[in-house]
Formats: sequence, structure tokens, C-alpha cells
Amino acid sequence: MTQLELKSVSKSFGAYKVFEELDLQAQAGEIVVIFGGSGTGKTILLRLIAGVQEPTSGTIEIEGQDVADIAPEHRNVGMAFQNFALFPHMSALENIAAPLVAQKAGAATVRAGVDKVAKLLKIDHVLDHAPRELSNGQKQRTALARALVAEPRILLLDDPLRNVDAKLRFEMRIELPRLLRQTGATVLYVTQDYKEAMALGDRIAVLASGKFAQIATPEDIYLRPASLSVASLFGDPSINTSETTVEMTGKTISVRLGGVQVAIDSAYKSYIGRAVTFGVRPESVELAGPKSNGLAATVMAVTPLNERTALLLKSEGGWEFLASLPSSSSNIPKPGTNVKATFQSGGAHLFDKTTGERLHG
Amino acid sequence: MGELVLSNVEKIYRPSRKAPVHAVKTLNLTVKSGEIAALLGSSGCGKTSILRMIAGFEDVSSGTITMDGKPIHTLPPVGRKVAMAFETYSLYPPLTNGENIAFALKAQKLAGSESDRRVKAIADMLEISDILNKYPSSVSGGQQQRVSLGRALVREASLYLLDEPMGQLEPRLRAVLRGRIKHYLRENNCTTILVTHDQTDANALADRIAVMEGGVLQQYATPAELKVRPANLFTGTFIGEPPMNVFFAKTAVNAKTVAFTIDGGVTLSYPAAQLSFDVRKLLNTSQRVGIGIRPHALHVGKGSITGKVVACQWLGDQTHVAVEVAGRTVVSIVHDMLKAKTGSDIQLNVAASDLHIFNPETGAAIAHGGDLA
Repeated sequence: MTQLELKSVSKSFGAYKVFEELDLQAQAGEIVVIFGGSGTGKTILLRLIAGVQEPTSGTIEIEGQDVADIAPEHRNVGMAFQNFALFPHMSALENIAAPLVAQKAGAATVRAGVDKVAKLLKIDHVLDHAPRELSNGQKQRTALARALVAEPRILLLDDPLRNVDAKLRFEMRIELPRLLRQTGATVLYVTQDYKEAMALGDRIAVLASGKFAQIATPEDIYLRPASLSVASLFGDPSINTSETTVEMTGKTISVRLGGVQVAIDSAYKSYIGRAVTFGVRPESVELAGPKSNGLAATVMAVTPLNERTALLLKSEGGWEFLASLPSSSSNIPKPGTNVKATFQSGGAHLFDKTTGERLHG
Repeated sequence: MGELVLSNVEKIYRPSRKAPVHAVKTLNLTVKSGEIAALLGSSGCGKTSILRMIAGFEDVSSGTITMDGKPIHTLPPVGRKVAMAFETYSLYPPLTNGENIAFALKAQKLAGSESDRRVKAIADMLEISDILNKYPSSVSGGQQQRVSLGRALVREASLYLLDEPMGQLEPRLRAVLRGRIKHYLRENNCTTILVTHDQTDANALADRIAVMEGGVLQQYATPAELKVRPANLFTGTFIGEPPMNVFFAKTAVNAKTVAFTIDGGVTLSYPAAQLSFDVRKLLNTSQRVGIGIRPHALHVGKGSITGKVVACQWLGDQTHVAVEVAGRTVVSIVHDMLKAKTGSDIQLNVAASDLHIFNPETGAAIAHGGDLA
């Protein structure tokens, strides 16, 4: 069942267009991540759905009903913010209870509601604390509890893990999906962290330059990005690129990377002569000894990250690119080593040089 | 390039007042000529105090700092031949970005053309060639940070101090610049200290990492050693993202097997030969231990650890599988795409060679992979 639908929603402030004609459908119980850099209008989109701001044009439907004339408090929407926005003079309990109190619920109902959600979020032991006495993680859970307590059908979460430390962010990333499923709410989750987007989203809507560049499952977004800009936003280190042209020498389809011809999948045959951007993900770069086939390159530096190690390579023709190997791998070449690089077809793509669109091989 | 040695360095702020702050405690640290060292820790760990004492912005309360055997802690900052990139950039506002970088070369009295050549080379490396004629106030924070870095790297100095040098850079550039800067520091044999709270930057750039906590040096070792042989539970859990899985367990040792029964009921059992004689002897008497298992060492597949899948999250180049085992959540990392349904049963295994065993009271490491720590 479609719980939430955006139909051609636009928002502008005077002449400044934040976004134009956004279409999105979210199914009941689905977690849809709104992903994009800062300033792309993610928060404004949530505010339109919550009803605290109005779209310039287009309609927002909740359960098939246009909500333009429905006040925020009657939309059955809960919201949590990246800066927590807790009332400083109220205890955690009072903060969480606020939406129920606003609905004029009875004392027993309020207490039962708060206890249920506090237990779920493991903050039942700090309910009488003031916000200043809570750790950042507890503040964030309190804000989440407040958003959940009235059992909204739609939950809007605005980058809720932004202001917590890396360890807690990781723990919450693991815990949140299960927690959100238990509430049964349809969730729109805003983040600028691609790992969070991939980990939490059933689908991801990538917001860039005022449009949804792609709305798809994490798997589709990562393996079959609609465009170079989508491909660049996902992955760390991000996709290597080089501007080049598709050529044919003999029967081989190839591109030049730093002046050196590299064979690509023959499925790209129909693009001969086309100006393209070649892109390959660092984890799809395979390295072998100097006598193997492939693009000759030298290892410039080895930079271990966490579970993976990045290598900066420079090809014979001067193309600089990164490869990423599991840190536990036993054959990570040392700086100065000459290698041959090949590219796994699943992680290598061609994009139109002008439009950035991915070309289908 | 020089060798930097800190001997018994202490830093106490407000020593005569009621509540003195003991920021750095008996620090001994050597950075070899041409070595890249990182001071890593969270805020308040003492890393910035150490940096400021080396640069000469703070006095040492006691102890000595020497460069190639000569004491430098008594010298004024300018006499120490230290090039520094500040976390706050500290660029000269009336100078262009290019002039800021070239300013550092004035003292070296280079010919104008040589100075220009060096500034250009550094600017190319840091991808700021196009903003050299602009003023610091008109470029982004990330660009100012690179100008500040360029100003430090372009100089000839005995020591390079880089304070959170990558914090403002966007991810793509950060990954490439880590590689280029590391290559540059090596080629020029620069003795370097990097100060950071970001373990990825420390891992990526440093030959050795000094892990600081509460003013005390916890461990000073290569990134690989910190992973494989953490000195204590603090270092073990601090280094590594996602963090090390930690259990507390009771040991049972006999001639044939060594078994660890984790609180909550799961037992890990290994043929005795997989742990060294010394470790078995020690475990026999220690009984209760802390066990650490790195996420990549916890393998999905037939094994004695059974649990329910809490989350299975594919991130493009790795899958994080969270499993509820004996009432707590453990994390396994798989380097491929793995699909496991939330709530389903799953088995995990870990080799004896991947176990980290700690003293549960002091946190000190007892054994790594079957050998004594």
C-alpha cells in the first residue's frame, strides 16, 4: 500500500529553486533514505511533508489523501532532528511525553506510551534526567522516542546520527533498522553518509541539483548507478575516473587511460567514437605482477584504512587512480612496486562525457 | 631531517593551584629520521599539549625534547626548525594563498624562480593551483586547509607537525591526497608528526601510531601491529572500525583442549596445540579472561558460535553482519556481498590464531593468536 506519495513537488524561495517536480512513492513500513550533500534541500523536503512549510507547487498525499489542508499536528507524522531539539527545562520523560500531552491524552496513556518507547530505545533508566545530564547518544534516543511515542504512521528522521560519535553511530546503524521495523511506521530518513544510506534504506532517493537523480535499492544504486554523479557519491574511496573516447583497434573495443589503450567489454561496441568518462571503483581494480596482462602502473603509496587498504597508483601514461584491497590480504604490494592493473567488469562503467548518464554495455 | 626524542616529558597545567591538570604523563617517544608518526586520541588525551611542547608554544613541565641529540625544548619556536600546519589554518589574511605558501620560503633566501617552482609543485599536488591568486578569505575551508598544508610542506625543516591536516577535505580528494602526501613525505625523507583524532587518517599516513588516552601513551606501534597485537583492551577496542568484538569468558584447559565459555553460554573450543605452552600455562591459573575478536576474523560459516541475524548491511565493498550471540551483538565483516535475512539463524567461527586474550581486571593483553603478548 502506498503510504506517502509526492507528486511533482517543487519548492522555491523567490527566484531560488530548491528542487523541482519531485516524485516519490513510499510503501507502508518501507524505509526510504533521502540522500544528498548539504544544501540539496533534504530537510526542506521533510518540512513540507510534516506540514511546517508549504510546497510551491505539487501535491503530497498520505494514504491517498491530499494533505495540503491538513495541519501538521493532524498529519500523523513524527519527526526527529539532527540537533535533537529537546526542551532543556523538561526531563527526558516530559520531552518524550510532549506529543501525547499535546493530543490531550490521559496521564495513564501518556505514561504507558512513554514507558513502551523508552524501553524499546533502552533509555528507561534516564527518564527523570534533564537533557543536559544525558550523553549525546541518550539525547539522540530521547529525540527518537519523542518522534515515535504517538505511533505516527510516517516517521521523518533528519540526519539523526549526525551529531553522535563514530562508535555510537555504528551501533545505531546496526540497531535502527530493527527498531524502525518494530514501529511499523513508514520512514523517510535523511542522511549525507552513503554507508548509512546503504545500510538503512530499503530504497535510496538520491537528491542532487534539485532532482532525484535515482531512486532505487542500495544494490542498484551501487552496481548500476544512473549517472556519474550518483556513482561518485557512493563508495570510499570513490570511483576513479578518466575522460576518454571509445575506440576500436582490430576487433578490440578500448579506451585510452593516460594515453595507454585498455580493452573494455565488447558490449560497448555501439559507442565507438563517443566521448565518455571511464569510471572504475577502487575495489574493482585487480593487481597482478608486472609480467601479467593489464595496464602497467607503479604503486605510489599504500594507505591502510580500516578493513581495507587503499593504494595510490600511477599508470605508465600518468593516470592516477586508487585500488582498494582487504587489509587482511596477504599480497598487498609495497610502494615503488610495478604492477599490472585490470578492471572487473561489474565495477567498471562508461558515462556519457556531457550528460554524465551511464551507458549500458 | 632529524630524529626527535621525547624523554620523560610531563605537562602539568596550573601546578600551584588547587586542581592542577596533568595533561601529559611521563612520555617517552622517538620519531626516527624520515619517519611519519601519528599522535592519535580523542579530545583531552594530551595530543595537542604534546604538539605544542614540540613546537615551542608550551613549556615542558619536566623532561627533555631533543632533535638529533640536541635539546630543543629550551629554544624559542623559531629556533626549532619546525614546519607546522595548523588545524585552524592560521593563514595571513593580507597575503594571497600563493604568497602564504611562498612566505615560508623567504627565510631560505631562494631565487624567485626556484621559489615559484616549489610553490607550483606543492600547489599542483594539493590541487590548489587555481586559487593561488585569491585571498584566504575568499576560498573554502577545505582549500584554506590545503594552503596551510602547502605552506608547511614547501619549507625545508627538521620536523613537520601536521595538526588535523585533512579534517575539512571532501572524501574523494582526501583519499587521493593521503596517498600523494605520504609519497611526498617519503620522497623528501621528512620526519613528521601528525596529530589527529581520526584513526583512518592515522592508519593511512603513519609508519607508527602513538595511541594516547588520559595523558598516557597506551601503545606506540605500526598500524598493523596495533591491529594484530594491541597492548591492552583500550587500544584493542579504540583501533578498528567497526570495533573489536569483546567477550568475557571462563577458561578450561586440559592436555587436549583449551575451551573458553563465554558469559551467556557459548563455548569456543580449540585443540591445545593451537595455543602455545606458555599461554596454556597462564590460562590454567587465570580462569576468567577478556576475549577480543576483530570483525574480519569472525567468519560466517560452520562453527560453534550460533546466533540470530540482527542486521546484514552491504556497503558496496563489504558486508557488515550483526549477530545476536549470548545476549549481545557481535559484528562480522565479509568482503563480498552477503545476503542473510534478519532474524534467521547463522553460524560463526573464529580461529585460535585470531583470538586476543586480555586480563579482565587490568585490560592488559595476555596473548594474541595463541602466543604470549
